[in-house]
Amino acid sequence: MDGACLEFAGKASVQPSLMSEADEQSLIRRAQDGDRAAFDTLIRLYDQNVLRLALQVVGSPEEARDLYQEAFLKVYRSIGHFRSEAKFSTWLYRVVMNVCLDHLRRQSTRKEVPVPAPQDGEPEFFQTVPDERPTLNPERATHSKEIGRRIQVALERLNPRERMVFELKHYQGLKLRAIGSICKTSEQTVKNCLFRATQKLRMELGDLA
Amino acid sequence: MNCQKLEENLPLLLYGELSTWEQAACEEHLAGCASCRGAREKLERLHQVLAQRPPVEVSAPLLAEARMALDEQLEREQHGWRSLWRHGLPVLRFQPASGFALALTLVLCGFGLGWGLRPHAGRLTASVGEANNVSVGSSDLENMRISGISGVAPDPQTGGVKITMDAERQVTLKGSLDDPRIQQVLVYAVKDYDNPGIRRDTLDALRSHTDNPIIRQALLYAMRHDPNAGVRLEVLEAVCNMKSSAEVHTALLDTLEHDTNPGVRVAAVKALIDRTEKEGCDVSTAQALEHVARTDSNPYVRLECSNAMMKLGK
Repeated sequence: MDGACLEFAGKASVQPSLMSEADEQSLIRRAQDGDRAAFDTLIRLYDQNVLRLALQVVGSPEEARDLYQEAFLKVYRSIGHFRSEAKFSTWLYRVVMNVCLDHLRRQSTRKEVPVPAPQDGEPEFFQTVPDERPTLNPERATHSKEIGRRIQVALERLNPRERMVFELKHYQGLKLRAIGSICKTSEQTVKNCLFRATQKLRMELGDLA
Repeated sequence: MNCQKLEENLPLLLYGELSTWEQAACEEHLAGCASCRGAREKLERLHQVLAQRPPVEVSAPLLAEARMALDEQLEREQHGWRSLWRHGLPVLRFQPASGFALALTLVLCGFGLGWGLRPHAGRLTASVGEANNVSVGSSDLENMRISGISGVAPDPQTGGVKITMDAERQVTLKGSLDDPRIQQVLVYAVKDYDNPGIRRDTLDALRSHTDNPIIRQALLYAMRHDPNAGVRLEVLEAVCNMKSSAEVHTALLDTLEHDTNPGVRVAAVKALIDRTEKEGCDVSTAQALEHVARTDSNPYVRLECSNAMMKLGK
């Protein structure tokens, strides 16, 4: 179907590239025959990136873990239907993308999901991400935290599809063609989606830029 | 290229997603258009702002936790009804003839059962007579579970019908857990019965009688060999409350080193630590923890073992 390559810019998982296509095909066939060990080996090639993407989309580790589980259970249940016309990674990320989209849609139908404003004494998610820069001063840390929060607000205001396209392009570094394959849509549609997302972000974050 | 087209292409230009000639056309336009150069600078600044989003890194414990939870779910899936559909009947999906045969068989079975259990069942059973030399009355039939019908033929002697079937009769056994017959059934259920739900219920009945050597043996066997990780985990909890003995200790070490499920191995670490805190550390526990901390395939298990060794002061 496509030869789209899902190489991740900068954050690429090293393992898939170490495994030859033939090895991966063999794992897929064994997993389709019900070999659990083969399935486990196969998904270990991608699961760290999947969890990272889920964490990026939902912010909370608990929810990210749920999305991870939901996605891989779907993969397990439907791997029998996978045909080698598409790359396995494209098919896998399509499943992951749909799970993330469903999550974002559910979230957007819930009325007024306020972006968690940091409360006194309560650590915000971004605070929990260790920042190891030695020169960091408290004022700058507060400023960075505020910018991080603003970015999160702006991203959450995108519609689910724009959000996913933007995450995959800007933060995961996928090629537009690969995103098109994952979304089962044309490259032009992805471009339009990315353009709209960029416009909205520019509006939201213009004062920071 | 005009300004509107350039604005549409700007994000793609910054992502390096334009073809060589599109890129050249954009650069040419930008060289002569200050307004568009300003737009590019604004977009570049936006990218700089977006780059300040804190990087999301997947911590090793989170990844291990996610893998463990998935592992447990997959194990349930493997033994659930979905696996029958996925692995037990795959042939039918690709062979229409087999599918047709199955459908026909189901229709015939349904028809046969429906006919056999129609409202005149009393008259039917009376005329059915015997199967395997066992007389079946209508009240017996209500207490039986028909697992298969192997023959339906007209009976020329009575003008009725002769049905040959396999049936199971439900028997309820009541008694004290000290009754050897009850123990025998429960020990069979916890060790060999193929339904994990029943094994778990049996475990609940047995866990308060771990002083009994037969029950203790059965539980230790289940902790090592039950195919379901959830059941093994529950047995392990029950084992934690057993009196200390060499066989319990050996079984816990065995679980720590050989159980296939990382969640169970982690529970074994905790059980061993609890015992060690009460009874003091022995060499075999320290050695096993040290070995698993070095060699276990799961980072979370390795981490737990390392923490346990630190607690023990090793």
